[in-house]
Amino acid sequence: MNAVRVLTAVCAAVVLALAGCGSGGETGTEKKTHLKLYNDKGAWAQYFKSVGELSQKEIGLSMEPVGYTDEPTYEAFIKASFRTNVKPDLFTWTTGQRMAEIVKEGHIADTTDLWNEAIKNGDLTENLKPYYTIDGKQYCVPLNIAYWVMFYNKKVFDANGLRPPTSWAEFMAAADTLKSKGITPFYHTSVLFSFVWFQQLLVGSDPDLYQRLSEGKAKYTDPGVVKVMELWKSMIDKGYFTDPGDKTEPAAGLKSGKVAMGNWGTWFNTSLTQAGMKPGEDYGMFFIPNENPKGGKTSLLFESGPLCSLDKAPDREASMKYLKWWVGPVAQDKWANSRGDVSGNPKVAIPDPGLQAVTKQAGSNDYALYNRYFEATPAPILTAALDAFGAFVVKPADYRKQLETIQKAADDYWSKKK
Amino acid sequence: MIRRLVLIVLGLIWLAPTYLLLANAARGLDDYDPERIWDLPGSFELLANMADAWARVELGPSIGATFLYAVVAPAAAVVIGAMAGFGISVLRVKGGFGWFMLIFGGTIFPTQMLLIPLFFGFSSTQLYDTRLGLLVIYTAISVPFAAFVMRNFFTGVAHSLFEAARMDGANLWRVFWRIYLPLALPALGAVFILEFTFIWNDLLFGLTLSQSPEVRPIMTAVSSLNSAYAGTRMPVILAAGILVSLPTVALFLFTQRIFARGLALGQF
Amino acid sequence: MTGTRRWAGVSFLSPSLLLVAVVLYAPFLWTVYLSFTDYDGLRSPTFVGFDNYIRFLEDPALATSVRNTLMWAVGITVLPVAFGLLIAVLSYGLKGGTFYRLPFLLPYALSGAGLAVIWGFILQSGGAANDILGTDISLLQEAPWNTLSLIVAMTWQQAGVNALLFLVGLQSIPKEVAEAAKLDGAGSWGMFRKITWPLLAPLTTVVVGLSLVASLKTFDIVWISTQGGPGRSSETLAVTMYRDAFVAAEFGYGAAVAFSLTIVTGLVSFIYMRRQVRAVS
Repeated sequence: MNAVRVLTAVCAAVVLALAGCGSGGETGTEKKTHLKLYNDKGAWAQYFKSVGELSQKEIGLSMEPVGYTDEPTYEAFIKASFRTNVKPDLFTWTTGQRMAEIVKEGHIADTTDLWNEAIKNGDLTENLKPYYTIDGKQYCVPLNIAYWVMFYNKKVFDANGLRPPTSWAEFMAAADTLKSKGITPFYHTSVLFSFVWFQQLLVGSDPDLYQRLSEGKAKYTDPGVVKVMELWKSMIDKGYFTDPGDKTEPAAGLKSGKVAMGNWGTWFNTSLTQAGMKPGEDYGMFFIPNENPKGGKTSLLFESGPLCSLDKAPDREASMKYLKWWVGPVAQDKWANSRGDVSGNPKVAIPDPGLQAVTKQAGSNDYALYNRYFEATPAPILTAALDAFGAFVVKPADYRKQLETIQKAADDYWSKKK
Repeated sequence: MIRRLVLIVLGLIWLAPTYLLLANAARGLDDYDPERIWDLPGSFELLANMADAWARVELGPSIGATFLYAVVAPAAAVVIGAMAGFGISVLRVKGGFGWFMLIFGGTIFPTQMLLIPLFFGFSSTQLYDTRLGLLVIYTAISVPFAAFVMRNFFTGVAHSLFEAARMDGANLWRVFWRIYLPLALPALGAVFILEFTFIWNDLLFGLTLSQSPEVRPIMTAVSSLNSAYAGTRMPVILAAGILVSLPTVALFLFTQRIFARGLALGQF
Repeated sequence: MTGTRRWAGVSFLSPSLLLVAVVLYAPFLWTVYLSFTDYDGLRSPTFVGFDNYIRFLEDPALATSVRNTLMWAVGITVLPVAFGLLIAVLSYGLKGGTFYRLPFLLPYALSGAGLAVIWGFILQSGGAANDILGTDISLLQEAPWNTLSLIVAMTWQQAGVNALLFLVGLQSIPKEVAEAAKLDGAGSWGMFRKITWPLLAPLTTVVVGLSLVASLKTFDIVWISTQGGPGRSSETLAVTMYRDAFVAAEFGYGAAVAFSLTIVTGLVSFIYMRRQVRAVS
């Protein structure tokens, strides 16, 4: 009995002492020297923090990340915040339809001047600009960029006399060789990144169709799309892919050499180095050749997440100042190199020769950039597609049914838009 | 003897996944191989892995706040819930079942759907990103369960106890606080432990209703380890899982005494 | 009952009612309202009447979702409850009972992500479960195996908690009753059937009732392990709701799923409680 009473008394005291010291919501227009950067990449907290410390020294504005890990919850939260007094100073988002949506509602600060100036002094490039342009104006700046490349186990390649392929035929021949030696050529999954092979095969065979599909001008049941699914299915049937029911983390699979290749964004470097593989020595990267080489340029999928400021940010001036500094070489050097990824700023020197080569190639005229499927596709269609691809990976025979399911979601979405 | 044997066999089955957790959390970088997860670890790097996890996510600032929520909210909830149970079962409030269903009804809502409206409410009342705000949420979400258990518990107590206490002239609050609450200690303890664990492991409310490191609960930090962008090694993820479970495990060990000894109701 | 006592009773209930009303009921009313609108989380909701409900009923994914939710409801009200009861009865009063119970309690401390990783190891193709069963099934890939395996994982986590609740009930059984029965020569099984089981009834109500409500709302373990896939095959109603509302950003539609789910959960628990209260009193 006494124990209960003491416990209650202690609790009451603790509540009073601790509850008071949480910080309240900040509102109104004020001068800020400390910015909060809301993001759905909670895993990058330490990298954000190190940039935040640097910015305090450089421009007198410190920055602290507020990380989320579940992307859907994050997006719902940010959208909801637009109509409250809890507004983020800076926040990350996705390009494509989801960015267009919030821009068209007038929530996002225009960064056209910032882009013009940054392109003039070489901090940003023209080829990134289209992804940040809506109705002729620019919004947000690139938080990060990543190219979708094929990572491969170098030792496995060497042992089997293979080199990074330069044509689709070579690519398939390499897969055959590996398969015959009992090594699974490619990593496969039915969760989240189930879209990876779809986007790669489609953009490598008919980039125009890929583009039109994302704009609702083509159908998932069109012959070109069906052909891609058939190609994908034939690769699965040949045993090119890992069992999606295998829960081995991809980095460990690649390290063990049981799987020779995997298709990811360049950010996957972090996973491989943390698994104890050395870039250039244990693993390498190459761009996947077009399945259909007509048209000359190799299609290259890339991913770029925007860093945005609200038009009605708590301190708009400070937020804009931060974005401007963010794209500059000092910030980008810290940001890209601490994570071991590429930068949108061509002035940033990348110490890893493999990544450097990737960046250089991607910037050359031989490659055409395409926005990753995840960003290029509107949310309701993407949701249906990820589920459909997941189902396809497990039961490839049902590909027509899966395409119809996606098309139904697409019909629903686009009919509401018009 | 048979009882022990059955318990031992079942216990071993139950320990197998726990073994996987411990063995693979203890492995060093080169020892971890997804093909050989059942092997005894060839190295003992558990503490190093935990230290690695700790450094990556800076759990420090969240711990104090999480303890606050996980201790205070269930404590408040068991008392509030016991009050409701007392009102329904002992005082026999008119329409007791209806009131009870109303309170218990709080558990039937899918919590995910409460997040956005709660965020709207919190941001307009300055409760967003405060410890008080999270305490209120966690207490409220714990109350229906506490009320449910306590109502059932008090139903099992003979009504003569209440009449005897009233005869002595004690007021209702005293009867509740001095007689019924202590009587219910094992039930209160069980509810407290379960709610502690629930709140300690909560991610949803913490993520949506707070943003500062000193307000956000610990799981918001831990969850970031296990993401495609993090590239965290499996042993570190598992070690982090063990690390954050330690307080709950300690609580289980510590409170086992309450359940080991019978606080028989029969004497009343 | 006197007037003052009625008021006293209500005042004992009021803190609970207040908290539940403000923090749980009020936000849910907003969800009910949303379910009759088209809302993308950004523009203002527009009223669409029953469209979302009609769409929900016509959704081919509904059948899978309902089937899986039913599997969860049956699985979780039976398996962890039965194991919990078994563990509690066997270990109660046993010397070193604390020690024997520990293996069952440890899993509950583990957070959702840890659970998913460990069971991912066990359930994956070529994993431990297949080795033991001598099969080669993609347990997490094929329906209904994915739902069934996750129910097993959940049983592993929940049994200890139920045992804990049953222990509370066992302690309330008067020792004299047990001793009297023993003197009458009742065996262990007879003891259990005649004494323990009937006296545990109130606690069984609690445990089964809680399991039932929780199982109808199953979300975390499915979302972390399979995200409802592959191809929506392991979705529960709560996962469907989250997918439609948050992932596809169709909050009105998701709200309609949420409201339907709530009605079902509410009805089931109401019927269950009604029957139990009658049975007990």
